[in-house]
Amino acid sequence: MNALKFRETGQGKAGGLLLLLALIAGCTSTTVDEFRQGDTGIESHESVVILGRRQAGNRETSSDFVECVGDRLAQGVDGLSVVPEQEFLDAMFPWFEPRTAPLQPEHLGRLMVEEQVALTMRDFGVRYIIWVDGFTETLNRVGSISCTVAPGGAGCFGYGSWEDDASFNAEIWDVENYNGVGQISTDATGQSFMPAIVIPIPLIARVEANACQRLGDQLKSFVIGG
Amino acid sequence: MNHPGMAIVKLLLPALLLSACGASSVVISGSFPTPNIGKLPLSLAVVYDDTLEEFTYTEYSETGQEEYHIQSGQSHIELFNAILPAMFDRVIRVDAVEEGAGAGVDAIFVPNIEEFQLALPAKTRLDVYEVWIKYNMRLLTTEGDYLADWVLTSYGKTPTETFVSTETAINDAAIVALRDLASTFALSFAQVPEISDWLANR
Repeated sequence: MNALKFRETGQGKAGGLLLLLALIAGCTSTTVDEFRQGDTGIESHESVVILGRRQAGNRETSSDFVECVGDRLAQGVDGLSVVPEQEFLDAMFPWFEPRTAPLQPEHLGRLMVEEQVALTMRDFGVRYIIWVDGFTETLNRVGSISCTVAPGGAGCFGYGSWEDDASFNAEIWDVENYNGVGQISTDATGQSFMPAIVIPIPLIARVEANACQRLGDQLKSFVIGG
Repeated sequence: MNHPGMAIVKLLLPALLLSACGASSVVISGSFPTPNIGKLPLSLAVVYDDTLEEFTYTEYSETGQEEYHIQSGQSHIELFNAILPAMFDRVIRVDAVEEGAGAGVDAIFVPNIEEFQLALPAKTRLDVYEVWIKYNMRLLTTEGDYLADWVLTSYGKTPTETFVSTETAINDAAIVALRDLASTFALSFAQVPEISDWLANR
């Protein structure tokens, strides 16, 4: 009876620990900063395109993150029309490649002098170009998990933990007026855990997903305007 | 008594040992968009010589073993076949410079790869695969004399990702480098001083 009680208490503790870890893992702290430089607004026939900056040497903005922000902008009853990044880059080739893309909104005016660029931009109905620059990095990785494979079976034991930090900045350019209308930056951090008792149980903080969600929502309300 | 686990280990062990030997082969493949630019009023013959067509780069491991054979000749030809017709009024392919003389063209274009470099995360400790390519571009008269001879470089990178093989990542980085070549070539062709002078005197 006592042994049974002990086992139940042990299971309860392990369950409690896992629940606690899951709750902690779910906690991601996200901050969003907005800097408005001009008025915005968008008509129903106009669209936006979100492009990732890829000029930096040892990192680049992930196309998955750019797609995620685009999906967020397109969601809901007030969803915006978003031109897919790759479709835009291919149609605009070679003007928006890493080495040839305009770096300042003022350069847009020079680019729009090119007849093909202006025509393609008009065909897409692009009113705003949103440049997203940033990345997610993993910091403070601690712990270790060892796994063993034997003819009789396999199993892992140990514990790992790490912190993810997603930092992204979005610059919004008005294609009609060739100027920058604002910037929104988002920074999300979260702790992930991976306890392993026979099988590893990943308790992953959804850092990049949260950054995408918050940035997407903020961008949508920014573009819709005020 | 034979345990089923042992049978799997016996089966997998030779495969694992074999996979550790020899270099992996990567044939660069991808699609390239047509440049959205105005055409130059020129007719051009293009020569892809054997050194370009059969270009293969070999990456060696730190112990000097052949690690990867990267075949990128055909992908370069596909790239030029996509961009040249968008840049010039008429483009024909000829097998040799001499053939261009009777083809009724304004000039003969001969692209070549001079150098290929690969940087792998395992060696650089960076989270990206990188490809650098250096080209020698030649534009010749129909008589085979030099109109212009210039160097172009291209660069491509792709981040490391879980569940993406090294071969796929090398291919992706090379395709980015090829797009970089296409964009630089398309936008800088008429700005090469010798070509600019030649175009102005036509």
